Amino acid sequence: MQAFRELDRVLRGDARPGEPVPLWPLLRVNALLAASYGVCMGIYALARPDGVEWRQPLAGALKVPALFALTLLVTFPSLYVFNTLLGPRLRLGVLLRLGVAALSVLTAVLSAFGPIVAFFSVTTANYPFVVLLNVAVFALAGAFGLGFLRKLLTQLAPPRGLETQDFVVVDRPSGHAVIYGWMAVFGLVGGQMSWLLRPFIGAPELPFAWLRPRDGSFFEGVTRAVKLLLGAV
Amino acid sequence: MGVFKRAVEAILRPAGADARLGPAIVAVVVGGGIYGAVMGSFGGLAGDRGLQIVFSAVKVPLLLLLTTALALPSFFVINTVLGLRKDWPAALRAVLGAQGAVAVVLAALAPYTALWYASSGHYHRATAFNGVVFLVASVAAQGVLRRYYAPLVAANRRHLATARGWLVLYAFVAVQLGWVLRPFVGDPSLPPTFFRAGAWGNAYVVVAEVVWKAFGGVTSSR
Repeated sequence: MQAFRELDRVLRGDARPGEPVPLWPLLRVNALLAASYGVCMGIYALARPDGVEWRQPLAGALKVPALFALTLLVTFPSLYVFNTLLGPRLRLGVLLRLGVAALSVLTAVLSAFGPIVAFFSVTTANYPFVVLLNVAVFALAGAFGLGFLRKLLTQLAPPRGLETQDFVVVDRPSGHAVIYGWMAVFGLVGGQMSWLLRPFIGAPELPFAWLRPRDGSFFEGVTRAVKLLLGAV
Repeated sequence: MGVFKRAVEAILRPAGADARLGPAIVAVVVGGGIYGAVMGSFGGLAGDRGLQIVFSAVKVPLLLLLTTALALPSFFVINTVLGLRKDWPAALRAVLGAQGAVAVVLAALAPYTALWYASSGHYHRATAFNGVVFLVASVAAQGVLRRYYAPLVAANRRHLATARGWLVLYAFVAVQLGWVLRPFVGDPSLPPTFFRAGAWGNAYVVVAEVVWKAFGGVTSSR
C-alpha cells in the first residue's frame, strides 16, 4: 500500500524531483501495473479458435514489465550522457527518479485502460483491430508519461544551493532538443522492443510461443495490421 | 415510482450545481429499465416474447452502468495526471449524473418508440429508430454534463479537455458494449434471448466492412 501511496503522490504531481522519490516501491508498483496490462492483452488468447490458451496472459504479465525495463535499459544511458553534454545536466540519481516517475505515469495510464482492452479482446475476433487498439493505448500512455517528463524537466526550479550542480532550468534549445530527442528514441526503441518480445496478444492462426523468431519490425507489423484491417492483404 | 419521480426531479431541476449519486443510479436503473422494456416489446407479448421485454429492461441499465464502469478507471487516472484530482468527486458526480440524464431522456422518449412499433413491423427500421432515440438521449445528456461541468471548467480550463475525453471514451466503449449485448429489440423471427449466440464481434469492424463493401471493396475480416 505504501508503494501505491507513492504512486498516487507522483500521479497527483505532488512529488518533485528534488524530493526523494523512493525508487524501489515505485518500480515494484510499476511492474505490477505493467503486468496487469499484460494480462489484459493476453486475454484475447482465451478465445482462440483452437481452444483456451492460458499461457498467453501469463506471458503478457511477464513481458510487459520486461518491455519497459529493457526499453529504459537501452535508452537511459544515452539520455544521461546527452543530458550532461547538452543540458539540463541533471545528476544520475535525479534523472533516474525523473525517469521512474514518468514511467509510473505511463504504466498507471496503461493499466487504467486495461479493463477496456480486456473487454474488446474478449468480444472481438478481429486480430488486427485488437493489435491496433493496443498500439493506440500504448501510444496514449506513452504520450502521458513523456508529457509528464517534459513538464517536470522544463519546470524544474533549482533548489537553493544546488543551482549549478544538480539542477539547471531547461531554457536552452539544446536542453529541449535532448528531451524531445529522447522521447522520440524512447518511442522507437519501445516499439521495436515490443516487436522483439512478441507475441503479447497471440495471432489466432499461429500456435502459442513465448517468443517468435527474429523477423520483420514493429513498423512493418503495424502497417500489416492496418492493411489487414482494411482488407487490403 | 415515488423514488424515480424524485430522482427525475433531482436530475432535471437540481437544487445545487453538483450532481447527486443516488438519484443518478435510481434514474439509470428505473429509467433505463422502462426504455429497455419498451425497446424489447417489438415482437409483442404472445408466447415467450415477453421474455425479450424482461431481458431488454435489464440490459439497457446494464449497458449504461457497465460502460461507465469500464471507462471510469482511465478517466480517473487521466484526471489525476492532469492535476485535477482534487475535483474528482465533483467530476465523478458529473459523469454519473449525465448517465442519469441519458436514462431519464430515454424513458421520456419511450412512448415514441412504442408508437413506432405500433406503426411499422419492419425490424431493421425499428432498430434504426432506436439508434436515433439513443443518439437524441446522448446529445441531450451532454447538455446536462456541460451544466455539471460549468463550475469545474470555470475553475480550471483543463476540465474542458477531460469532459470531452470522457465523451470520446464513453462513446467508444458504449458502441461496442451495445453491440455485444444485442439483441435489444429482438428479431421476431428468432426466439427471445439474453445474448445472441455467436454474435459477439466488433461493432467498428462491422461498420468498416459495411462502408468498405459499399465502396466496392472485398474483405474477409470479421
